[in-house]
Formats: sequence, C-alpha cells, structure tokens
Amino acid sequence: MALKEVLLGPLYIARALATTFKHNTKPIVTIEYPERQKAVPPRERGKHILHRYADGLEKCVGCELCAIACPVGCIVVEAAENTPEHRVSPGERYAKRYEINLLRCIYCGFCEEACPYDAITMGPRYDLADDHPDKFIAVKEDLLEPLSASISDTAIPSGAPSAQPVARKW
Amino acid sequence: MAAVQTDQVTLTINGQSVTVPKGTLILDAAKKIGIDIPIFCSHPKMAPVAVCRMCLVEVEKLPKLQPACAVYVADGMVVKTTTEQVGKYQKDVLGFLLINHPLDCPICDKGGECPLQDQTYQYGPGASRFDFPKAHFDKSVPLSDKILLDRERCILCWRCTRFSEEISGERELALIQRGTNTIIGTFNDEPAQSNYQGNWTEICPVGALTSRQYRFISRPWDLDRTASICPACSMGCNIQIDARSNRIGRFQSRENVAVDDSWLCDRGRFSFPNFQRQGQERPRVRRNGSLEEVSYEEAIAFTADALKHAGGQVAGWASPADTNEELFLFSRLFREVLKSAHLDHRSGVVADAEPDDIALPIADIERCDQVVVLGGQGVIDAAPVLHLRLFKSERKGVKILKVGVTEGKRALDAIPAEAQAIGILATEADKQAAVDLQAKLAKKVKGSVRRLIVTTGPNGRGAKDLGILPHQGPGYASLNGRAGRGRLQWPGAGVKGLYVHESSPLHGFVPSDAESMWLSTLPLVVFHRFKASPLDEVAHVILPGHAFTEKYGTVTNMEGRVQRIRRGIDAEWVREDWRVLQQVANALGASWAYESVEEITGDLVRELPPYAAVNQEARVLWSEST
Ligand code: SF4
Ligand code: SF4
Ligand code: SF4
Ligand code: SF4
Ligand code: FES
Repeated sequence: MALKEVLLGPLYIARALATTFKHNTKPIVTIEYPERQKAVPPRERGKHILHRYADGLEKCVGCELCAIACPVGCIVVEAAENTPEHRVSPGERYAKRYEINLLRCIYCGFCEEACPYDAITMGPRYDLADDHPDKFIAVKEDLLEPLSASISDTAIPSGAPSAQPVARKW
Repeated sequence: MAAVQTDQVTLTINGQSVTVPKGTLILDAAKKIGIDIPIFCSHPKMAPVAVCRMCLVEVEKLPKLQPACAVYVADGMVVKTTTEQVGKYQKDVLGFLLINHPLDCPICDKGGECPLQDQTYQYGPGASRFDFPKAHFDKSVPLSDKILLDRERCILCWRCTRFSEEISGERELALIQRGTNTIIGTFNDEPAQSNYQGNWTEICPVGALTSRQYRFISRPWDLDRTASICPACSMGCNIQIDARSNRIGRFQSRENVAVDDSWLCDRGRFSFPNFQRQGQERPRVRRNGSLEEVSYEEAIAFTADALKHAGGQVAGWASPADTNEELFLFSRLFREVLKSAHLDHRSGVVADAEPDDIALPIADIERCDQVVVLGGQGVIDAAPVLHLRLFKSERKGVKILKVGVTEGKRALDAIPAEAQAIGILATEADKQAAVDLQAKLAKKVKGSVRRLIVTTGPNGRGAKDLGILPHQGPGYASLNGRAGRGRLQWPGAGVKGLYVHESSPLHGFVPSDAESMWLSTLPLVVFHRFKASPLDEVAHVILPGHAFTEKYGTVTNMEGRVQRIRRGIDAEWVREDWRVLQQVANALGASWAYESVEEITGDLVRELPPYAAVNQEARVLWSEST
C-alpha cells in the first residue's frame, strides 16, 4: 500500500504541475493594485465631487436639498451669505460648511439627483480605506474640485491606466 | 370665520354635507370637513380680498368659478373643489403667478415651508411655463434692520399690506405702481418702523419677506421645534423655539386666541440672541480674591455654609423671568430654611402688590365698550402685542382712550354713565392711578369696570402670586408684622448676604449706583444665573443655571394665565436650577426630595390651590378660591 503510493508519487506531482502550466499560458486577469488601477464605468458612484464653474465660483448654493434627499442623513450643509468681499458662489447664498460622512454613505447617488445646480456628482474614486472613523468625514475641501484643475485631473487617482472624465447624466 | 348670526345653513361640498353658521366662507366650511382648498391671499385674521384666485371652486348654478375665500355659504349650495375645470384653473392661476416668480427656491429662506412651492407641486405645472425674460427687481432689499424684501418673489397677495392696515393699523407697507411693475414698499423707501414686522415673514406665502436674523440659518427640516412662551414681557405670547443643532434659529408664533391671537412683536420675536449659550461653564467660588472653578457639590456646600453664617440677614432677589417652580423653592428657601423675609423680584419701581383677581382678561378687551389706556404708548411699549388687540377691538367698535397717567380725569369725563363694560390698562408702575380711576369709574357708571395691569417680565405676576415680596407671603398672605425689607432698602438694612437668581438677561439684576457701592462691601453675594453679567465681579459664588429657553416650568402672564415653558435647547452639563436650590436648602438642614419639576408644580398647587389653573393653562383667580 504505502510502497505503491511512493512509486506513483512522481505521477501525482506531474499531474498537479500540468494544471499549473495550463493556467500559465492563459491571459492574466488580475492587475497590480494600487500601482495600476482599472478604469471604472463612466457612471460609477464613488466619492462625491463638488464642482465649480469655469470662473472658479462654487456651484453649490447650500440649499440642503442633497441633505434632505439623502436616505441615511450623512450630509450636513450650513449656508451663509455671499458678500462682495467674500464671494464663494454666484448669487446670494453659498455653503459655509459641507460635510459627508463617507462611512455612512451608501453611494446611492440621490444627492446628485436632488441637486438643482449639478453641484454635487458621484465621482469615480473608490479607494477610500483609512485607519480611523474620523477620517471618513469628508469636509468641503476634500470634496471640492481644486481651483485650477479640470475634473478629470483631480477625480481619478494618478496611475490609473485609462483616466476618463466623469460621465454626467445630463 | 366671520360668523354674523347663529342661523345654520347646510351645503354640500364634494358630495359631503356640512352644516355651518350663516356667514361662513366656503373655504372655512370646507376646512371643517377636512377638504383642502389651496389659498394664497386669504388669511383667517384678515378680511377677504380674493386677489390671488387660487381658491376658485365650482358652485352649482353659478356660471363661473367662485373664490372660496370670499363667497359666503348659502343653504343648499353645491360646491365642487376637485372637478376638471377647477383643476385646470388652479394650474393656470399658478402658471400666471409663476410668470414673474423666479422659483429660486434653493437660495430662498422660505424653501421647505413655502405655500407657493408646495402648491406648485400639488396643483400646478411644477415649473414656470413662461419662456420669456421675467421681470427683474433688486434681490433682498432691506426694508428695515429686521426684514429683507425680495420683490421678484412677491406674488402680490396683499397679505403684508393688509396686516399693516387691518392688524397693526400702521399702514406702513403699500402696493406701488401697476401691472408687472407693482411692488411692495414703504413710503419713500424709508426704513419700516413697525414693531410687528416679524409677522410679515410668517404671513407672506412666499419668500418675499424674510427675516435678516434667520437668513440662511436653516431649513425647516433641520429644526427642532419646542412650544414655549415669549421671554420678553408679561403678555405671555405663545412661541415656538426653532433650534438647529442646539442653537436657537428663530422664535415663531403659536396661536393662542386668548393671548396673542397668533401674533408676536419684534421685541419678543427677535430677542432670542440673548439666550444663545456661549460655551460651557463651571461653578466658581471666590477664594483669596479670585474666582476658582469648582464642582457643583463644592459650590453648593460653600454657598450653604456662607448662608448659614449670614443667618437671617440674607436677602434674596429672584428674577421675574424665573419659573413658578423656581420661585416657589426660592421663597421656601428664604422663608422656611433661612428664616429671612428680605425677598424681592422687583427692580426700580416698587409698586404695591395685591391680587389682581378681577383682572380683565386680555381677550375681553374686545368685549368692552370703552378701554382706557392709562399711560398711552408707555403701556403699549411694556407689552407691544397689546396694541394689536386694542386695534382689533377698535375696529370692532370699542372706544379706546389713550390718556397720560395724570389725566385720569379726562377719561373719567369722557366715559358716559351708561357704559356697560370698561377696561383700564396700565403698567405696574402706575397701578395706583389705575386703581383710583377704577374706583371713580365704578361709582360713575352702571357696568363693570375691570383693570389689567401690565406686570414686568414673563413671570412678574407669578413672582407676586408666589410671594417673592418683602411684605407678602405666597398667595398674598399677610406677614403680620414680620415683613422684610424690599430691594431699595437693602443697602441700609444690615443685610449680610445676597442671593440673586436669574435666567434671562432681559430681566436680570442690574445694580443701581447706590447698590453697586453696597454690593462691593457685602461679605456674601451668591449669583445663580444663566449669563455672565457685571455682577460676576462682586460675586463670591457663581452657580451656572439654565436659560429661560433651556428649562421646563410654568410662568404666569399679566392676566394670570399659567402657561408652560419648555426646554428648546439642551444644556445638560448645567444642573437644573430647582435642583441646585433644593441642594442648597438640604445642605442647610431641609429635607426636600423633589425628583422633577412636575413634583414641585404639584406641591405648589397644593399650597396655592388657585394655581390648579396650570392644568388648563387657564387664569389664576384668587377671588374664586376663597
Ligand atoms: S450617495 Fe446617497 S447616501 Fe451617499 S451622500 Fe449621496 S444621497 Fe446620501
Ligand atoms: S450640493 Fe446641490 S443640493 Fe446640495 S446644498 Fe449644494 S446646491 Fe444644494
Ligand atoms: S410680500 Fe409676500 S405677503 Fe406681501 S404681497 Fe408679496 S407675497 Fe404677499
Ligand atoms: S408682547 Fe411681550 S410676550 Fe408678546 S411677543 Fe412681544 S415681548 Fe413677547
Ligand atoms: S385665496 Fe381666494 S382669491 Fe386668494
């Protein structure tokens, strides 16, 4: 019994290795994350982006419609008044405080849908892991597009193979 | 509802039959059976004008649609509010209203509580169908330091102008220009002066008139709403504290036909910044000249010890903005535990207090034939919403006589002997003049003569009822020669300590010059209060307490109505004022064991049975109990 198995051993090994070599020749489906990243679908609902107009003014007017539309209540907006010296958005009102608790967010996109000014959209970023719950409170600075850059430069982490602009639904 | 006679008529609305008094509007009859007819211009406190046409309904046998807010019911009338034609008209009326309305709801402070917004979704096209340029006006024009006007949003419902004409009688707002150029404005664009402007923001059915204080502070869905009482005067107008994230955003009115008739004055409405809390604070005790932070236990022990040293020679001042429950404990602490009668709640004028049991109820002003306002504008300034009641009465035919305090004779001569019901209004300071005039009038006329004395502070009346007075105990009990000294005599009366309790900066202890001198020499000043004041500098103990807007309790207004105040803001790190008073008393040997405000109210009612009125928010009537 035992002797027979000892003699057949090399055969078993050969059989196992055959499986390995068979897969070696097939195309690779995994990629080296995070050095390389997959392109996400154009309508991916990742971390939110607060947009600006071409002149740099914020689109958000602090109307709180996203906050009331949000089914989990993870958005906090506090509005304030624009003054000629301190103009943040066109018109009278802007969001002084804008925070999203990304841990509570279910990435449903209702906020995007509710927004009357297309000020908030769901971006392509999904690499949101961090080491403390507090770090998941995205404040306005975390969400806002930087002043000089276009959306595609900022929204997708560098190193992504096929950076595409965020597809917008309108 | 404009009921003119008691005859009943029966009509049918949407197939439902309803019986209402003759002279009822179709709108009110429909409301009675729960049928909602959309409105903009109609207001329950104002005469119908039917300018907005939103309320059109079908009435059988009438060729055209009729405005439900202006047509009175008739027997056998058949009204339909949901037909296709009505629906089409509602949609079109809204379409017309939206021609020049910007629909800028996202930046509008009314958004979320706006009748135009709601009805556009419910009955209208959902958006403006007008593709051409809209009429444009300047956004947010300041009408005064309190109100902003956005003329683009105005739908010309005339509510604000009618308020100014029919409710306050000041005729400050008017319609200017014609057609699409029509705007609301004041004469010559001068700032509005009215003391009732806050009401405009509440009656405006769009975001055209908004409060500057509340600008962009919150959305209605962020607000925690608490029913309470206005802290600013003794009228006791009912308010709602609207707070966002534990900070007061605004005071809104809450209708109580017996008191405020659904209005507030600006003094009360815009007084809330006084009650915003600035950070946390711990009790402090003065040691070697400087105040040190300590725990409540330590501060209470220190206070009790110091009070014991001062013996019966301590004086107590409790603010006329304290609750009845606090005043009840305060009075017991002094009378029973410290055995001191040096109690007071008054500031300047020391008016003689006696039960105003036959006081004229506020709402009965409308049912008098003659009302003497002794002191004229001074009385109105002391309780501004009284003016609205007086003006309403005047429009109903009541004769209002405004005379100076010394001109009682003029009123006496002017009132005919056959008058049926006479009212006299005066402030506390002029009570004697009012009592004299009342006596003289009672001799002259056949009918009843009643007075209404405007007390000081939201609970000035309660402070008197509960005996926060040197010469009278709770329930105006006589002290049989054991009377103490009043506030004005304290500086020369050998007082060795002072305990001040206040919870409203509007009715705090403000020392006069003479008192300041005296205070700095006092060996003990206990300051139990909500907000820091100059008294902090001389205090030996500072006990942080709750603000008027942060606690439960009852207050008694000028006519003796006991109403509840409730906690609109949480400040749970502050120990309840009644609990601190109880702990001080217990440290001095008492054995009180109250666990809640309700238990104190219960004891209060047992001691002063007329206060059973608290359960109905009714008036305390001293004469009926004896
Ligand atoms: S995606 Fe959904 S859950 Fe997340 S913030 Fe927006 S509305 Fe809220
Ligand atoms: S993101 Fe859009 S919906 Fe949210 S507050 Fe700003 S403007 Fe309003
Ligand atoms: S300002 Fe408001 S209340 Fe006044 S007419 Fe215009 S819509 Fe009506
Ligand atoms: S009349 Fe007095 S109680 Fe009424 S709102 Fe004005 S201040 Fe407040
Ligand atoms: S509510 Fe009837 S016409 Fe305006």
